[in-house]
Amino acid sequence: MSLRTRIATRWRALFARRREDQELEEELRFHVDMEVAARLRAGMTPAAARRTTLRDFGGLERYKEECRDARGISLLDAGAADLRGALRALRKSPAFTGVVVLTLALGIGATTAIFTVVNAVLLRPLAYADPGRLVMVWENDRNSGTTREPASVPDYFDFRARSHVFSHLAALQPRALSFTPPAPGADAVQLSAAAVTKDFLATVGIAPRLGRGFRPDEDVPGAPAVALISERLWHSRFASAPDIIGRRIRLGDSSYSVLGVLPDRIELPEMPPGFGSLQQDVDVWLPLAATPVSSPRERHDVIVVARLRAGVAPAAAQREMAALAATLEVQYPRENRARGVFVESLPASLVRGIRPALAALLAASALVLLIACANAANLLLARTVAHRREVAVRLALGAGMRRLAQQLFAESFLLSVAAAALGIGIAALGLRALLALAPRNIPRLADVSMDPRVLGVALGIAVLVSMTFGLLPLFLARTLDVQDALRAGSGRSGSAAPAQQRFRNGLVVAEIALSVVLVIGAGLLIRSVWSLRGVDPGFQSDRLLRVQYQLPASRYPQSMAAFPHFPELSGFHRELIRRVEAIPGVVSASLSANGPLEAGFTNSFVIVGREAEAEHQAEIYIRSVSPSYFPTAGVALRRGRLLSDQDDATAPAVLLINESGARRYFPDGNAVGQQLRFWGQARRIVGVVADEKFEGPGAETPPAVYPPLWQVPFATVSLLVRTHADPMAVLPQVRAAVRNLDPQVALYGVTTMDEALSQSIGKQRFTMRLLGAFALLALVLAMIGVHGTLSYAVTQRSREMGIRMALGAQRGAVRRLIVRQGMRLSFLGIAAGLVGALAATRLLRTLLYGLTSTDLVTYAVVTSVIAIVSALASFLPARHATRIDPAITLRTE
Amino acid sequence: MATSNADVLQGTLDLLILKALSLEPMHGWGVAQRIQQISRDVLQVNQGSLYPALRRLEDRGWIAARWGTSEHNRRARYYRLTSTGRAQLRQETESWERFMLAVQRVLRAQPA
Repeated sequence: MSLRTRIATRWRALFARRREDQELEEELRFHVDMEVAARLRAGMTPAAARRTTLRDFGGLERYKEECRDARGISLLDAGAADLRGALRALRKSPAFTGVVVLTLALGIGATTAIFTVVNAVLLRPLAYADPGRLVMVWENDRNSGTTREPASVPDYFDFRARSHVFSHLAALQPRALSFTPPAPGADAVQLSAAAVTKDFLATVGIAPRLGRGFRPDEDVPGAPAVALISERLWHSRFASAPDIIGRRIRLGDSSYSVLGVLPDRIELPEMPPGFGSLQQDVDVWLPLAATPVSSPRERHDVIVVARLRAGVAPAAAQREMAALAATLEVQYPRENRARGVFVESLPASLVRGIRPALAALLAASALVLLIACANAANLLLARTVAHRREVAVRLALGAGMRRLAQQLFAESFLLSVAAAALGIGIAALGLRALLALAPRNIPRLADVSMDPRVLGVALGIAVLVSMTFGLLPLFLARTLDVQDALRAGSGRSGSAAPAQQRFRNGLVVAEIALSVVLVIGAGLLIRSVWSLRGVDPGFQSDRLLRVQYQLPASRYPQSMAAFPHFPELSGFHRELIRRVEAIPGVVSASLSANGPLEAGFTNSFVIVGREAEAEHQAEIYIRSVSPSYFPTAGVALRRGRLLSDQDDATAPAVLLINESGARRYFPDGNAVGQQLRFWGQARRIVGVVADEKFEGPGAETPPAVYPPLWQVPFATVSLLVRTHADPMAVLPQVRAAVRNLDPQVALYGVTTMDEALSQSIGKQRFTMRLLGAFALLALVLAMIGVHGTLSYAVTQRSREMGIRMALGAQRGAVRRLIVRQGMRLSFLGIAAGLVGALAATRLLRTLLYGLTSTDLVTYAVVTSVIAIVSALASFLPARHATRIDPAITLRTE
Repeated sequence: MATSNADVLQGTLDLLILKALSLEPMHGWGVAQRIQQISRDVLQVNQGSLYPALRRLEDRGWIAARWGTSEHNRRARYYRLTSTGRAQLRQETESWERFMLAVQRVLRAQPA
């Protein structure tokens, strides 16, 4: 038979069954009629002829079945029959079905929820054209040990002119702009903006939705004010007006002509600490209008994005750029001292911060799933073994191993499908909780959704799961000795085959081991978060409000020639502090270029009299503050004096240094009275203040200096307000104070410092909570496993227990027997789990604080917790064993 | 039914069907009748095995079926031998005869 007819026949068998059946029926009916006619001719009465024919013929249905078999039975048919059978069987034991489905659904749900996040954050492609060729060109600083710093504008122009590995290069500078919505009487709002060079859009490969990008003649100093806006802003503030192109919008103090609308998803990596804050998505794009001489080479204020030329490997780009950086260092020994270049893939750079946490969580959810599978396999196995007599009968009656496999498979398939459906529901709910818990700085989290890929993965997981736990019992059924099982009479009295018991024990050991890994992981994170929360941040976060604002240069001139005499600027700042301090309930108020927990920027400096050391000196953080900053934030003075309002632009330049800086540069304790020089001015150290943890509670405080805001003025500042009671309660009056001074100034970044502090360890807390939830789930599942296995063993051994008790064994002894069995399993599991944890918790390394991934305390505590919990899980079946009435057990056998 | 009647052995049934159909195309009932007739009622074809066998042979491509009209003007499924079926029949006939011969030789063996 040719392949073609063979396929056609199979096809018919599969899908043309109805027709096939009808034809067969017609053929058989014809046969019967012919036979009846023949018997009539032979002289029978019509009734007798029909009766005897049908009798001789037997059931029509049977023939149909046999004919189908002769045709080659279709897998689908058998599958459908098996599924029906499985459904019946599962309905008969709702408790079993419920536990298995719930167990698997929890595993599938956990994995799906995490995968949904991973999919959105790590896997979903970027909106950029060919994003694999996009790189960030960071500068770095060997003296400070930094790896990702902005470049200077002149460096950027040198990169453009002298590199050959890029097809496009663009520079970008984060800006914050207040925007006055077109609606009458609307308050100004702060927008996230970015100034970019003319080829930015070409570099990232994004086309405007509407209008056009910047022309080269628009990216030069003095060009007319033009802007691109985001689709989001267009929708929310301009009602998607089709005539937006060419309209003038009010940004800061000037009016800009809208050239085009850009798609929303222009994702940029986390900016280096203190370098602007693109915390939200960029809504306004302006031309950078930079020239090779528009900004000094020592000012690092642009980030560089580049597109690799086709066929150029990132490593080759890194080599060329490193060589170029070395050339620039020789050419500009003062400005580019210790400067290198770090070329980093843009997609990798985007998710650098969150990847370890997500990887750890994905691994954890996979472990939960594995435990769930082991549990389901265990339950299914227990059932198979309990039904071994039935299985044995079927085998004895000639059911093939394959049929049996199909039936088992049908059961596990149904269970997995139900579990997948429930699991996806759990995932959807879990996802909502997860997003509520997630720290705000996880990129792309807004786009998390359960797209077809996620659902596909969930179903894939379910299929994989059904294969895994569905086929395990089959593997064991092969060890079933038919005769033995049949001989065993009631089918319950014999103990399970040793191979099976061993296997089930193995599953439980594996479950315990996996949950030990998870619980240790969670334990390490919990301890880290506790340590982080216990860290003294160096300021007092309670009853402290922070808001930020920016004064536009148009009405608050900041000409470099007049520096630091900006009377309008400091006038506003001083008056605002005065008015806020007058609000009832306010203890004090201060301004600072960077608030607590905001790292701010670094600058090179020299110690007057020790100029030679500057060659290898790291840059120092410059935290310009109003004198009231220290009492308001609660940063303690250690030596010397604090700043005062007399330290203004006309007074001698002074500053404070933090303890970390004093220790590093003045180890003899003689910091006060020394002079530091930066920005062309020597400044005398008048005091030493405590270290505040401005790089986050987990990081050591680097050296920093605090010049007075009146001597080192800034237009973008954080206003800190210390209150007697709830800091949020004074926010309306603070807003009013700002509005009364200048209605065009927008407030943003409003938070209490308690909240900011807890956000600063948000990633660790988020990971800890999820991992904690997974660990708890794993532990519960594993204990269900222990309990189930032991209960089953007790049932299996009830005869033995009965005899023991009939012979006078004490209840305690019987109990100990069972508990001992459980504890043996749990100790094996714990031992294996400890080994696994040593390897697996290395994934968490970057998330830990104050301990290593081999923290002895965590390991010890987790070991005892698991031992105690599994003792409890063993105790219940053990107690059950002692309740066995010997008389009854023995009689029923 | 006569006790001398024998149900056709599985395996030989295929051969008998092929032979019957080599005479002329016919429907299932006809095949059973023809085998019974030719064997003078010695061989009774069990309907239960007939139709599965027909399906099996059709499946293997040795016979082909089409719907036709019977002598009593009823729709009936007619089977005919295909060319591969004819070759198969030849081959099976030979091996059957070889087998018969062998069995005969054994049965006629005399004590040495």
